Amino acid sequence: MVAVLYLVFGVFLETKTSDFLIFLICGRIPFSWFSRSIGNATGSIIAGRGLINQVSIPMPFFPLLVVFQDAFKQTVVFVFMFGFLYLYGLDISWVWLSIIFVILTQFLLTFAFAMLVAAVTPYIPDFRYLISTGLMALMLGSGIFYSYTDVIHPDHQRLFLMNPIANLIKNYRQVLMDNVLPDWSALGLICLGSLVLIMIMTWYYKKTETNYARLIAQ
Amino acid sequence: MVLQKNRNQLCAVDSTVNDNVMELHDVGVQYRTRRSFFRHDYFTALEGVSFTIKRGETLGILGSNGCGKSTLLRVLANIYGVDSGTVSWHCKQVALLSLALGFDPELSGRDNAIISGMFLGARKREVLAMLDEIIEFSELEGFINNPIKTYSSGMRARLGFSVALKMRSELLLIDEVLGVGDGKFKLKANKAMLDKINSKQTVVLVSHSMNQILKLCERALWLDQGKIKMIGETEEVVSAYQQFIKN
Repeated sequence: MVAVLYLVFGVFLETKTSDFLIFLICGRIPFSWFSRSIGNATGSIIAGRGLINQVSIPMPFFPLLVVFQDAFKQTVVFVFMFGFLYLYGLDISWVWLSIIFVILTQFLLTFAFAMLVAAVTPYIPDFRYLISTGLMALMLGSGIFYSYTDVIHPDHQRLFLMNPIANLIKNYRQVLMDNVLPDWSALGLICLGSLVLIMIMTWYYKKTETNYARLIAQ
Repeated sequence: MVLQKNRNQLCAVDSTVNDNVMELHDVGVQYRTRRSFFRHDYFTALEGVSFTIKRGETLGILGSNGCGKSTLLRVLANIYGVDSGTVSWHCKQVALLSLALGFDPELSGRDNAIISGMFLGARKREVLAMLDEIIEFSELEGFINNPIKTYSSGMRARLGFSVALKMRSELLLIDEVLGVGDGKFKLKANKAMLDKINSKQTVVLVSHSMNQILKLCERALWLDQGKIKMIGETEEVVSAYQQFIKN
């Protein structure tokens, strides 16, 4: 995907950003993680039908399993990504260590949204199509292959950064490409929002736990 | 401690030693099916079901297809919530006997046995303590470290059956007693399962075989269209049910 985007935007359309390949990698790889986890979590409760109908099991188990599996795979991807950035010649400094906080914030956000989408799909199965369209829209709206400071009107940039994925990608680039510490207040807000959503979803799952088995058995 | 359930609410209730493992009072379960975007139909699977399960007994459940037997077992196993009435558990472990529960084809037979045992309600150390017995019963000693994707379906069933058989739970729920595997293993499996049911284990058994119900159960419950038609001594209930079928 990074190669295709590079070919289209970097070579054919001659995007003027310097280090366009690095710019793409720092946006696309974190986005892929979010997109893959949410896509997998969408159908996770339905996919667990076999177990759910035979044993009393908490429903959050299924989206969480997906989120942790994907996070584990992603650590390997990140190791390769950082290795590539190093070989490419980016300056590595202590600031890079702060990327851990950006990654943890993204993990929390993914966790929260995975719980949400997994809860909806058993009630509305067609919701999964909406999710895939939504993820595509999110990709276009998160500044993966364009720099929001160049493209978006200054008055609208605040609005653009209210999209947590766009904000996280901005922070990935800020740390890895510019060697600047992340925007702590933005990360804090995303964490807080994610924790609130996780708490709401935990309460919801507790309240409706035994409904899901009947729902997906039909 | 007792867990009491009312409209999907679980709450702890103080209790002294109780002869009953479980009590159901006026339990109702409905399935909702979608007719159009906003319209739903409701199908009543259980209605006004009240009975108790006594410690150590084997209770047989009989009834025609679609009368709510499997739904009732799932309510007893706390898999399905109830729409009305209450269910009180006076036991800690309830297991619906399921073969090959949570099996992952990529993992070894040994790991799958551990996972399956844990899904059936045992702790990891309990399964580990029982693992040799499980492997011996399944007669899969030579293959137990291979991934189960390399097993034949019979071998997989043997492993699943052995795990389910060896796990201990206070209340065991069985939807048809099934022997698995080839001729010799099937005989052994059937015998082991019957021995387990005949022991002090509390069992709720769903079966279409009247002989099996007569042979194994002290009491029987006849379910008809989601309601209890009759509950009592096995012989009386079975003969009434057979009379009903003939008519």
